[in-house]
Amino acid sequence: MDFGTSDFKFGPITLGEQPRIINNRGYFPDKKSVLYRAFETASDVVVGDDVPLYLQSAEDLSSRLIYPMRNGMIERNDDQAWRVVQSLTSYGLEAFKPRPNNGFQGYYVVASLSSISPRYMYERLMAAFMESSHGMVRAVTVISQPFAVAIGHGVTTCVVIESGHGNSQVCPISKYPIRTAQVALNRGGGDANAITSEILKDAGYADLANEEAFVRKVKENLGLVPENLNDAIQEAKRSPRLVRGRYKVPGTRVEIDLDKDSWSRFLIGEYVFNPNHEIFESYFNRGMPKPRDVKMGDTVFKGMLDFGEAIVASVERCPVELQPLLYKEILLSGGNFSWTAPPKLQGIAVDAPCKVKMLLRDRGIRNVSVKMTRTPQSSVWHGCIIYGFAVPENYEWDWQRLEGWMKVPN
Amino acid sequence: MGAQPVVQNDHEQGVSFLLGTEKVHVLILKLDEMVQRNAILDALLSLSTLKFAYQLVYLAAPRLFGTSVDASIFRTRGIGLLFYDERRIDEAVPAQTQTEQSPGPPQQSNTTLVTELATLRTMYLEMERAISQLRKDLTTLRIPQPIQDHQPRIAMPTLEIQSQSNFPTNVVHGGGLPSYFVNNPWLDVLSKRGSGEREPIAG
Repeated sequence: MDFGTSDFKFGPITLGEQPRIINNRGYFPDKKSVLYRAFETASDVVVGDDVPLYLQSAEDLSSRLIYPMRNGMIERNDDQAWRVVQSLTSYGLEAFKPRPNNGFQGYYVVASLSSISPRYMYERLMAAFMESSHGMVRAVTVISQPFAVAIGHGVTTCVVIESGHGNSQVCPISKYPIRTAQVALNRGGGDANAITSEILKDAGYADLANEEAFVRKVKENLGLVPENLNDAIQEAKRSPRLVRGRYKVPGTRVEIDLDKDSWSRFLIGEYVFNPNHEIFESYFNRGMPKPRDVKMGDTVFKGMLDFGEAIVASVERCPVELQPLLYKEILLSGGNFSWTAPPKLQGIAVDAPCKVKMLLRDRGIRNVSVKMTRTPQSSVWHGCIIYGFAVPENYEWDWQRLEGWMKVPN
Repeated sequence: MGAQPVVQNDHEQGVSFLLGTEKVHVLILKLDEMVQRNAILDALLSLSTLKFAYQLVYLAAPRLFGTSVDASIFRTRGIGLLFYDERRIDEAVPAQTQTEQSPGPPQQSNTTLVTELATLRTMYLEMERAISQLRKDLTTLRIPQPIQDHQPRIAMPTLEIQSQSNFPTNVVHGGGLPSYFVNNPWLDVLSKRGSGEREPIAG
């Protein structure tokens, strides 16, 4: 089971290449409503494909529709979020309940959490499985998502960089996750949305700049990652037609045309990888939030570290003999790395692996290989399946190692 | 738990059911009735009289009705309001029981009845205006195909998970393992966990 920030992916090995996917969210219906009382329901939390049937007014959403892992973490005392997680585990298990009396003795369940999850999240998730088991779980374990990505990708020594909506993590792996070398960044897709919003305001679309879903669509369709920001801006101003950014929202009359401001497309991608360029100071000065260092749980998240610096900082915490091997396999995972480089902008715009290579080259690291994960949506789940298949059942859970099987009494 | 059907009188239109100890009646207004002058008034008057026989009464109307009605009127009268379309039902105004609405003497005096009638007349006049506006709006809209079944989907699917009785095995390649298992060195690495291999380098 992969508890992602937006989606919950689950299922046994017999599903083959693709897991089942539902939103990682739960809805708490209004029990006073006659509609709720008229229908039989077994739980206080609705998860899965039935959630849209229960959604009422937009005002309801913020209080009743809960996304428990928006930033990869759940607060210890956030009971609502934990109830959603409990419901999701039950849902996932019930969806694959085998026929009775066929000798089934319970699943070996492998759950996956963000690498920044503190110990209490492991404890509570395991408790949720104990409670939801009802004979369906023989043993449970929890592994980190970057570790699962490395397993799914088939690389035993590598650096996995996971970048999602709220934050990013750099995680070296060498047969085990090297936890003490992990570096976390307080920067993700949400920050790219913030700079996109500012660009839209400057281009005269202030009324649309506050709609998050719209801003995200603009980012995805118009954002570019420059090979070198100064050169890209210069080229864009010299040849505005080449870089002109236009986007029409499908099914509407809403169209964005950045026109002479199309050079700003490169700011969106650059900001994700390196927010330190002086051009961003003017945006910070007029109020755009500057990514800052924060502590969440046990982890300090750096705000302004660029990806090159973060990778180097992480790898240099590992033994020297391991470092070249780590640089040779850098895996990028997560939606925040899904950037494309249009062929007509070759040499000006690049994709994520290329940008990371350049940031490392600027720091004197040359012999590197940077790749995107082949199946970004399901690579964590693949890793969980392999882990559950291969690890011996007598490898018991250890709270120091944070690995092994926790047997579930049935 | 859940709604139980209730036997209703022949002259009563709509749906009745029991929720716990409360009897609920829902009168359903269909799309083509919305443009009929008296249908809405009939519905409201009918619900007002039914409030003595049922603890909770609702008017279920097409969602289009919501744009032309002031829901506070329903709130004042304790009549619940549901909006429906082909996809969902929303409770716009919860119904109130007689005791919630007016904790005073159970029997209404003639004066109170007259006041209620006056209020209904006001509601009727407002709806007249709303319907005229709707007629104008409808003439500029493409009229959708008539809904074959006007009954809103009160019976929603239960939340019981439909269990699969056995695993789907046809997706696994030729009965073997998925592609991400092929040549994966982790199978060997992980199979040796706990077999006396050396401790991790760091962490």
